[in-house]
Amino acid sequence: MQAITVENLSKTFRVKRKEKGMRGSIKAILHPQTEEIRAVNGVSFSVDEGEMLAFIGPNGAGKSTTIKMLTGILYPDGGRVEVLGIDPMKKRKQLAYRIGTVFGQKEQLWTHLTPYDNFRFFGAIYDLSERETEERIAELSERFELNAFIDTPVRNLSLGQRIRCEIVASLIHKPKVLFLDEPTIGLDPVVKENVRELIKQMNREEHTTIFLTSHDVGDIEKLCRRIIIVNDGQIVLDDSVERLKSHYQDKMAADVYARSQESGMAEKYEEAPNISLEEILVDIYRSEEDG
Amino acid sequence: MLTAAKNQLRVCLLSMKYNMMREMVNKVTFLTNVCFMVLNNASILVQWIILFRLREDVGGYTFREILFLWGLTAASFGLSHILFARAFSLSDLIIRGKLDSYLVQPKNVLVSVLTSSTDISAIGDFLYGVALVCACRPGVGGFFLFLLFTVTGTAIFTAFALLLGSLSFWFVRMDILQGQMVMGAVSFATYPDGIFEGISRFLLYFIVPVGMAVWYPVHVIVSFHAGMFFAVLGYACALSVTAVAVFYRGLKRYASGNLMEARM
Repeated sequence: MQAITVENLSKTFRVKRKEKGMRGSIKAILHPQTEEIRAVNGVSFSVDEGEMLAFIGPNGAGKSTTIKMLTGILYPDGGRVEVLGIDPMKKRKQLAYRIGTVFGQKEQLWTHLTPYDNFRFFGAIYDLSERETEERIAELSERFELNAFIDTPVRNLSLGQRIRCEIVASLIHKPKVLFLDEPTIGLDPVVKENVRELIKQMNREEHTTIFLTSHDVGDIEKLCRRIIIVNDGQIVLDDSVERLKSHYQDKMAADVYARSQESGMAEKYEEAPNISLEEILVDIYRSEEDG
Repeated sequence: MLTAAKNQLRVCLLSMKYNMMREMVNKVTFLTNVCFMVLNNASILVQWIILFRLREDVGGYTFREILFLWGLTAASFGLSHILFARAFSLSDLIIRGKLDSYLVQPKNVLVSVLTSSTDISAIGDFLYGVALVCACRPGVGGFFLFLLFTVTGTAIFTAFALLLGSLSFWFVRMDILQGQMVMGAVSFATYPDGIFEGISRFLLYFIVPVGMAVWYPVHVIVSFHAGMFFAVLGYACALSVTAVAVFYRGLKRYASGNLMEARM
């Protein structure tokens, strides 16, 4: 069963263009010029229920725009989207009951309230009864270890504690699909590891589909089996993390062997060193930049 | 349908409660904000008292009618800023791409946005408006009309701000125009309509909705006129429907944003 189906998805933004300086500003008023930027250009993919997918790419590749179209925030210009069999554009509210979103760069919680009050607010947003909300808060507080600071105003929490609360707020209604946009941005390595462990646990126990965008290779390696790389609004790679690494390992070994043959030092050929996922991604991003 | 409306109301009430809680974190600031707004409004009345010592009427208004004018403007402006303060800063939300958190909630986007903020000093405006009208002893019927027109005035001021704010989906820097037009409307509303003539009068009745928000209602409270009464109700409904339609039309053009931000 597929949790997400995307076919030929496109989104174009019209951006104003202006020449440098005051003269450019005046010219822009008299003769405004705009440029069309295709943020997402004919993207197609699907995600199975319970799958953990990394949707990555360099800055400005179209990741966030895609996630925003999948969650009903942005209207696509073309193509078809279905999340849990629901079109986000036609039934945004219906879909919102079944998905959760965490935007690492945007805070959804009220900073002057305690996490407990915030969770009660989110319970009301998702039409949970008082009892259901209390039970869910107790369960998630236990699992995410929030009890020590659940009654402290959010503005007084550390970033790691706040992100844990953000994730809990997005899970209060037991979503079937969780969209995570840079969930570990700015966290220290220990907190990152904790957050990853909690996401894995949630996927394991509640069979939640995870759609992750992140620039942190650790997030991708430790959470996801499958990876989709986008650049210039198009998918450039859709494969398993394992196959991607093994493919690069083979390619690197072949390169080292070829070089040793060329230099006539075949006897000095050694096995290619292990290549990290980060190096692979840098290589892919650079080769995409070079066209 | 009824359950959905009930659930939406529950969220709105919680949102308002939390907004109040935020503003009341510092009790001294909260109380001084409210009290100084009352004093600020009251101080402007002094110029009217002096003026009415020199003349019997200004623009066809007696001092009592001026008090109705001020009372209704303050109460409508106050209530719109207590309940729907976000309408008055909608441009900023749209320009900076801050509607995302409302769009991922299973609730009506517009209602959630409008009720997501409260201007606490507006409580002072509202109380001042009610006190002023009570001081004029309008009678039971007059007071009922005042309450009704406070609601229509709130709807008109909010819809006007919403309409201008929604234009930010198409045009940049509408926040400046929105702020100036709304504050202009409120300023004009505190002067009698008799002093405006020709094009300015036309503009203040049909473009900047001061006439329908305050002037017609004051005429109806002073001397009931069915035509004006229904014109105000009709205008409030028509402007609200138009503003909502423009907002949802514009929402399809919403471009979101990637700025770092917090819900304060």
